[in-house]
Amino acid sequence: MMWSWIPANWSQIWELTRQNAFLGIVSPLIGLVISLPLGVVAARWRWFYPPTLVFINVIYAIPSLALFIALIPAFGLTDTTVVIGLTVFSLCVILPNVVEGLRGVPGPVKQAATAMGYGPLRRLVTVELPLATPVIIAGLRVGVVSSVSLASVGQIIGVSSLGYLFIDGEQRDFPTEIYVGLFCVIVLAVVCDLILVGVRRVLTPWASGRNRAAGERPRWVLTQRAPARVT
Amino acid sequence: MTKRYPDGTVAVDHLDLDVPDGKTMVLVGPSGCGKTTTLRMINRLVDPSAGRILLNGDDIRAQDPSRLRRGIGYVIQQSGLFPHRTVEDNIATVPVLNGWSRAKARARARELLKTVGLDPALAKRYPHQLSGGQQQRVGVARALAADPPVLLMDEPFSAVDPVVRGQLQEQLISLQNELRKTIVLVTHDIEEAIKVGDIVALYHPHGTLAQLGPPERLLGAPADDYVAGFVGFDRGIRRLSFFRTEGLSLSAGPVLPGSATVASAVKTGEPWILVVGGQTELTPRGWVSAERLAGLDGDTRLADVATDSFGHTFTVGDDSLRAALDAAVLSPAGVAIGVDEHGRVAGVATFDQLRAAVQAAQAAQDALDAQDLLDEQVARQGQRPGATR
Repeated sequence: MMWSWIPANWSQIWELTRQNAFLGIVSPLIGLVISLPLGVVAARWRWFYPPTLVFINVIYAIPSLALFIALIPAFGLTDTTVVIGLTVFSLCVILPNVVEGLRGVPGPVKQAATAMGYGPLRRLVTVELPLATPVIIAGLRVGVVSSVSLASVGQIIGVSSLGYLFIDGEQRDFPTEIYVGLFCVIVLAVVCDLILVGVRRVLTPWASGRNRAAGERPRWVLTQRAPARVT
Repeated sequence: MTKRYPDGTVAVDHLDLDVPDGKTMVLVGPSGCGKTTTLRMINRLVDPSAGRILLNGDDIRAQDPSRLRRGIGYVIQQSGLFPHRTVEDNIATVPVLNGWSRAKARARARELLKTVGLDPALAKRYPHQLSGGQQQRVGVARALAADPPVLLMDEPFSAVDPVVRGQLQEQLISLQNELRKTIVLVTHDIEEAIKVGDIVALYHPHGTLAQLGPPERLLGAPADDYVAGFVGFDRGIRRLSFFRTEGLSLSAGPVLPGSATVASAVKTGEPWILVVGGQTELTPRGWVSAERLAGLDGDTRLADVATDSFGHTFTVGDDSLRAALDAAVLSPAGVAIGVDEHGRVAGVATFDQLRAAVQAAQAAQDALDAQDLLDEQVARQGQRPGATR
């Protein structure tokens, strides 16, 4: 470990971290935006969900590098290629949580909302989505953490990220660089995760101290899925 | 009206119900009998396959469902409160939907908390921070928020323990005495139906009515064995809850003050003496038997003699014959003690006196029921339009 390397290359490390953060955060956010309408449809028309789930599981099984390479003919060696790839992967973890979150809204609550005179759209926006928020954010956390980590793979097709430090460190036989890259990826992931925990606290004051259970069950399922993704 | 589901199940079969304004109608029956479906057809959560539902003479299908529902209060089992909204915002739901300002709606919510017997300090809590009974009260407050003339209640008290359920039922009765809403309440509990209902509609298992009428008539004159079985075996005793004690003749009874002596008590020749005194001169203390007095010194004051508990008393006029009969059964002397509103002994009633009062009350009720049935038949032939439906 060569500590002096760190301050000497600080601006490069910072720049790579920033780019990695951009790729890792924007992608799951786009994934969330796509998941919401899909999830609403899947929660409402039940037949839609099982084939969708099979489909996204197949997609999720594609190694990330293979997906990036498959996207190159269309989008070139650009950020877009990586963002699309990561969006697809994060969709795979966020969508099930949107569906579970919406399905988890208690029947009596939905029925009461309708009986009080809520139209379907108003009920969705003011009752169902807020109640699904803890579960959706749980999915988003997994999506963000895995995207931050996967963004480094983009380096292989030349899209700059913390992955540069791994490849460069390996080529120069310079472990310090690899360790620094690893450390930055982990810190970045943890920081993003903590921010999302804060967001959830703010958005769902009613859930604090109470039903972690509401967020916990589907998230457990998903944290089971996420570590399976290694490349 | 009739509700037939696509799979052929008939939930409600040619049902014709008329809910009078300002009354509580209870729909009761075994599960799957169509009572809940009936309720849900009133606010269009379910649409009937055939027939119509009139609210104040207007067909509800002519109205926008959301608008219709805002004019009908709805309370469901386990309250169905919105977990993500505070108590006051839950109650304010319909006023806000109707376009009230949040501040005004919240002020209304706090007022309603008091109406349903809750501390307005609970306004800022979330539903999960309340007990089941409190949640159910909030559910009632929410249904009342926009002051709808009609209230639908779907098994509102079935998820709470029996003690809380009793309190909630009492509260519903007193609220209803004050507010005079037109209430349709669904329950599977015949006791609840008899307790809170002005009219009880008892369902057969497959969506037809077994009997429709005031609860005392279901108890006193069940239409058939099914109804008799459903209301239970001691319906005769329970029916007495509907008869007041005004007509009950009381006797002065062997009542003596604590200052009287044992000798004077023995001289009455009564097998049991009721000793009074304490809080007022006529507050009952307890029964003492002639047998026990026989073994005592004649100069002893009755206040110093151990007495047997009288169980409970009944308030003359206010309490039912059921309460009076119960008091007689529990009394060691077999005599019920009637008291006035201040708890002073007004007289006692023996089994013979109770029997006479029960027979008279039943005869009067039977005559009323017969007249009602006759009126209904006449009205049915006249094909009158439904008041509420």
